[in-house]
Amino acid sequence: MPLSTFLGLETTLRGILAQQLALDVTGHNIANANTIGYSRQAAVMAPTEAYTVPGVTRPPQAGQLGTGVNVQSYQRMRDEFLDIQYRAQSMRQGSAEAAQDGLRQIEVAFNEPSDTGLNSLLQSYWSSWHDVSNAPENLATRQALAQNAASLANGFQSLATQLQTVQSQVGQNVTDTISQVNAIGSQITQLTAAITADEVTGDKPNDLLDQRDVLIDQLSKLGNVTVTVGALDTVDITIGGATLVSGGTPQAAIAESDMTSLTSGKLSGLIGLRDTTIPGYQASLDAIAGTLITETNNAHVNGFDLAGNAGGVFFNGTDAASIAVNPALLLTPALIAASGNGQPGNAGNALTMADMQAAAQAGLGGATINTAYSQLVTQLGSDVRDATQTTDNATILAGSLDDKRQSVSGVSLDEEMTNLVKFQRGYQASSRALSAMDEMIDQLINRTGKVGL
Amino acid sequence: MSARITQNMLSRSLLLDLQNVTDKLSRTQRKISSGKELTAPSDDPFAASQALMLRQDVALDQQYQRNIAEAQSWQGVTDTALSNVGDAVLRVRDLVVQGANDTLGPQGRQAIANEVTQLIDSIKSSANAQYAGRYVFAGSATLTQPYQLGANDAFSGNTETVKREIGPGVQIDLNTVGQTTFGDDTSGLLKTLRDIVTDLNSGNTAALGNADLQAIDVAHDTVINARSVVGASSNRLDTAMNRIQQLQDASSKRLSDTEDADMAKTLVDFSTQQAVYQSALRAGANIIQPSLMDFLSG
Repeated sequence: MPLSTFLGLETTLRGILAQQLALDVTGHNIANANTIGYSRQAAVMAPTEAYTVPGVTRPPQAGQLGTGVNVQSYQRMRDEFLDIQYRAQSMRQGSAEAAQDGLRQIEVAFNEPSDTGLNSLLQSYWSSWHDVSNAPENLATRQALAQNAASLANGFQSLATQLQTVQSQVGQNVTDTISQVNAIGSQITQLTAAITADEVTGDKPNDLLDQRDVLIDQLSKLGNVTVTVGALDTVDITIGGATLVSGGTPQAAIAESDMTSLTSGKLSGLIGLRDTTIPGYQASLDAIAGTLITETNNAHVNGFDLAGNAGGVFFNGTDAASIAVNPALLLTPALIAASGNGQPGNAGNALTMADMQAAAQAGLGGATINTAYSQLVTQLGSDVRDATQTTDNATILAGSLDDKRQSVSGVSLDEEMTNLVKFQRGYQASSRALSAMDEMIDQLINRTGKVGL
Repeated sequence: MSARITQNMLSRSLLLDLQNVTDKLSRTQRKISSGKELTAPSDDPFAASQALMLRQDVALDQQYQRNIAEAQSWQGVTDTALSNVGDAVLRVRDLVVQGANDTLGPQGRQAIANEVTQLIDSIKSSANAQYAGRYVFAGSATLTQPYQLGANDAFSGNTETVKREIGPGVQIDLNTVGQTTFGDDTSGLLKTLRDIVTDLNSGNTAALGNADLQAIDVAHDTVINARSVVGASSNRLDTAMNRIQQLQDASSKRLSDTEDADMAKTLVDFSTQQAVYQSALRAGANIIQPSLMDFLSG
């Protein structure tokens, strides 16, 4: 039996070492249980090469003798397909969230329905013309009209200003987000270089791969991202059609104009808001203010003031940002042309103005000034609602896809505790086997051949 | 094999659910504290636009009520003035009948003529009646006093109608024109009265008994007619006021239905959501805390 006396010692030693490594991995998993993007790892154990007992005439014994265990690799538990699904939802979520944020600000600016929004300012304005028609000779009612018209003009102006403010904030956000994209891009490039360097030597840099996946997740929230994984775990990443990462080679920073096919993600939501949605609201608001200015002025010059002179301009300006009451009317309300023929008791022109409330305006597609404004508010409300619902949907979907990923990659403490017990017992048992071997050898060395001594 | 569920997945979904319930709770709370179902257009875009329209309707109805009330006051002033004028004309008629009596001496007629002259001024004062600083009988020249007291009977106003809007597209002619009702130095009531004074002074009893008496009757009819027109227009204003009030009630009710929170329902919702929140918290506390670690010794 030419087997080494110490073969068993080596076998149990391998067992002890392997169990210890597995315990180390379990410890690493537990330590990273709450690390974002961490994929749990497992020590992949395999039996070491079996020992074929040599002999002159085979087989002196049946089969081969196992020689223990070895840790072959540390496997990273990850399903790339789930990553792709998750990132697709994350892009939708990013664009809807960005739109929702901006639209909510605009909704607050409109402040409808309320007693202070533009709707009630319009209403006070029309009512003031009615009041003037009831008492065209009365300077107090004329003064009230001039004041209410000024409040209305202020309402238009402040709404226009707030739309502009939100628009420029969104623009700044686009710039910041693009810097963020470029920063993430160069981090990914550095990580890829490090990963490739490790992989060339045959290692699997699990933790670096996790870090890179976290960065790609972040990136997918910012824009529509395509990820192509190449040999040695290099990646090529495009965002909105622009190349951001190409393996480990640093790329030039991308600009907004490079992203020619931006379809989702935060950037797409922000740019849509800045270039389409807000200008749309501005155009509607300008059309309403513009129609009010034109129609009022057209009617006003046809009327006559309290002194019987023809009326001048009522509103200055051309759009929501520039509308203002002719300052002369505020100083001298007698100049308001309420009369249709120059007689102080005639309120023909005031009634024309008051009736403008119900008049269909060609410049507003046949809507009245009031209904055009209601339509704008409804449009805004629907837009906010859409964005909110898309955000909620995408959040839930992204959440459940993340759960699926976690189901594969996440650290379950119950599982790790079980593993801890398992590997600890394995370690203990291997040690016990070692002790048994030791006792046998002790018997051989210290007791054998001592008969009669 | 069933899906692996990790502690982090449990915490994440618990947190998300808690946030959802809290969000709902805060919405309901806002409804309760504001009393409004609609606090932003996005709560219900269609209802929001309805609410805007209904607010405009209600405000417009209120405005029409103000317009009508204003017109009613104007008509009230007109009616009082016409009533005074009517009384004065009847008194003149009595005086003319007295003056036509041949037994009355020239001094007696002179006294009657003086009284008629006084009555002319009193009628002109009534015709100068003002409502809130405006002459109601002056046509659209409402800032011009229509008649001067004294010998000059000329009418300084105009005959234009003054219009008020009392409903959507509904306008009413408000004023009674002084010239057609009271006449001036060439025709109508005032001319008749001056003729009577002349006839009284000249002792022309034949004219007093015939032509003047007829003329004063015609003038009286004119004033009475004008009063009945005012009465009819007042009735129209009352009817319009009732109608507009009903419209406003209906609009206000619809606005309240659209905008205001149903308190009973909202409070029940709130209690339900609170119960859900508390159960979620309790379940969370029970699920999150223990793991195998708590049951393994050393």
